[in-house]
Amino acid sequence: MAEILHVGIDLGTSRSAISASNGERFVVDSFVGWPADMVAKKVLKRSVLIGHDAVSNRTMLDLHRPLERGLLKEGSDKDVEAVRELLKHLLGLVGVSANGNVNAENVRAVVGVPAAALRTNKQYLRNAMKGIVDSLLIVSEPFAVAYGLDALLHTMIIDIGAGTTDFCVMKGRYPTEEDQRTLTVAGDSIDTQLLKLIEERYPQANVTVYMVREWKEKTSFVGSAPEKIVVTAPVKGVPTDLDITNEMKAACETLVGPVIETMLDLLAKVEPEFQERVRNNVILSGGGGLIRGLPEALEEALKSVGGGKVKYMEDPVFVGSDGGLALAVDAPDGDWEKLSS
Amino acid sequence: MGMRAARMERVKRRLLKQAVADNVDTIRGLPPRAVRPKNRFVKIWLRRSPLLMIFLTLAGSTYLASDPTPARDTIAPAKIIVARSPRATTSLASFDPTPIDSAAFPLLVRRVVIDAGHGGNDPGATSMKHLTEKEVTLDVAARLKALLEKNGFEVVITRGEDRLVPLRDRARLANESDGDIFISIHVNSIEKHTASHGIETYFLGATSDPSLTKLAADENRMSGYSVADLHKLVEKMYADARRDESHRLASSIQQELFGNLRTVDHGLDNWGVKRAPFIVLVATEMPAILTEIGCMSNDAEAAMLNKSEYRQHVADALYRGIRAYASAADAPQKKGT
Repeated sequence: MAEILHVGIDLGTSRSAISASNGERFVVDSFVGWPADMVAKKVLKRSVLIGHDAVSNRTMLDLHRPLERGLLKEGSDKDVEAVRELLKHLLGLVGVSANGNVNAENVRAVVGVPAAALRTNKQYLRNAMKGIVDSLLIVSEPFAVAYGLDALLHTMIIDIGAGTTDFCVMKGRYPTEEDQRTLTVAGDSIDTQLLKLIEERYPQANVTVYMVREWKEKTSFVGSAPEKIVVTAPVKGVPTDLDITNEMKAACETLVGPVIETMLDLLAKVEPEFQERVRNNVILSGGGGLIRGLPEALEEALKSVGGGKVKYMEDPVFVGSDGGLALAVDAPDGDWEKLSS
Repeated sequence: MGMRAARMERVKRRLLKQAVADNVDTIRGLPPRAVRPKNRFVKIWLRRSPLLMIFLTLAGSTYLASDPTPARDTIAPAKIIVARSPRATTSLASFDPTPIDSAAFPLLVRRVVIDAGHGGNDPGATSMKHLTEKEVTLDVAARLKALLEKNGFEVVITRGEDRLVPLRDRARLANESDGDIFISIHVNSIEKHTASHGIETYFLGATSDPSLTKLAADENRMSGYSVADLHKLVEKMYADARRDESHRLASSIQQELFGNLRTVDHGLDNWGVKRAPFIVLVATEMPAILTEIGCMSNDAEAAMLNKSEYRQHVADALYRGIRAYASAADAPQKKGT
């Protein structure tokens, strides 16, 4: 009998990560592109490009980012196709392929989706994944994070991704609607804001959202600037150094208000005797967890309700997929039978 | 450490089970569990907000003023429920003195307490043909008991014959027998609307609906508590973790009752899951619901309730509701083996 492969997948708007029980872990940019015409097809010599490959060849591609706000866009066949390509690619990376040693029948996958995903979204995703993985468990992304960290009681997970910021208070039960919150203020909205601010200050500069995203990923911060942030961009065709310290700060800080408000709001709904424990167990994950000064800003806000601690993950890229993998491995065989399509 | 790890394993198993159940529901195209009427929930919170503020301020100031231990004592009601389960008590005592959200423990449903409403010289609602609520509830309770026992549950019944058991004694019996869930069976009577008939299930909560207050007052008659007393009790228990479980139990039962009885009684209305401060729900320490299995005031329905086949249907549906709740929480059969 063929070996069963368990995988955890964090299907993100910006990046998707996979962790597999054979020890393999990969992360790819959630971009899928098809050559735009015959010429492009000839040049690229491939029928579909995924991840960084797709982004760097985007001029020749019909480029798709299939997961807006972490959810599969309904009604777009192209996006469904893109998600399928993305999943096939991820599974291929960990050794699953039609003619390889592990095929779809032997894969058990746990996929994390935004906390606010509706049942219809999940059904839609389930249908989109038919034939790629047969046994599929869809869970809320922050729940997968919590599970992977064993943070199941009296903790709050704040998962700041590209499309969404997800909040989840773990009370020892599978999180319900009232334990979770999803904001659309997240990495992407920072990029949009940052691009706007830079264009305002340097109208002559030629800057794209892709460049802005890269800068943000390297130098994001809130509060006082850790250093001067200078980037290089073409101005009238000439590479020029631009100081974007203030713009970076302003754009990143658009996240702070909504995150604090939601955090305090959810905290107030925790039963009074457990609030202190939850306050001391706030966990930041996702790419946004890397924004310098953010944990401190949240701790500062917690002071108004008695103080607390905010931890951030050193390795936020794989916390979600690792949590999914832990769930996949722990789920008993009997349960997997119920989950196969 | 071993205990802590064991507890974590338990919590994990339970969470996984719930995650799987949620996915199975998705596959079957079912709506999410325990859907709350949102606007109503918000309204209740708003109405309650001054009280909640005072409560939070009190709890908060105690926290700030001293170490947190005495602060917890101000929230005693939630503790009682947690300490009730013997497993909870041992794990609490050995490594963690603070009360733990009871949701952290798999809620086993092994022992069901069935409460047949009214009895003795309290007949309850009466139909035009002199069928009494106390007869119907007693018979349905006996049928439900048989069904549950046949399927491996333990059953405690608050009254096995036609006699009056005070409401407080019913609750005490339920608490002392260490039941896992409490099901109180009643029959409605709506004098002014004899044409309407439906099914509704209650769990504990304060209500501002005057008709529900009246219904609660009717069902609570002879309890010795005034409606004002009840409101106070309910306020105290508002933060109770048991509420969610009771709500879930009520939803399961309502769903099965209505779904199954409608196939026999086509005109039946679904009046849904509601909150009300019935005394048996206030005083019991386990997830508890009160279900109104029909309407005596509707002649056609009273006639059906008079038939043993229909009562068996009701008992069947109640059993399905209990089983649905129990298998979603943690099936006793699986746990035992």
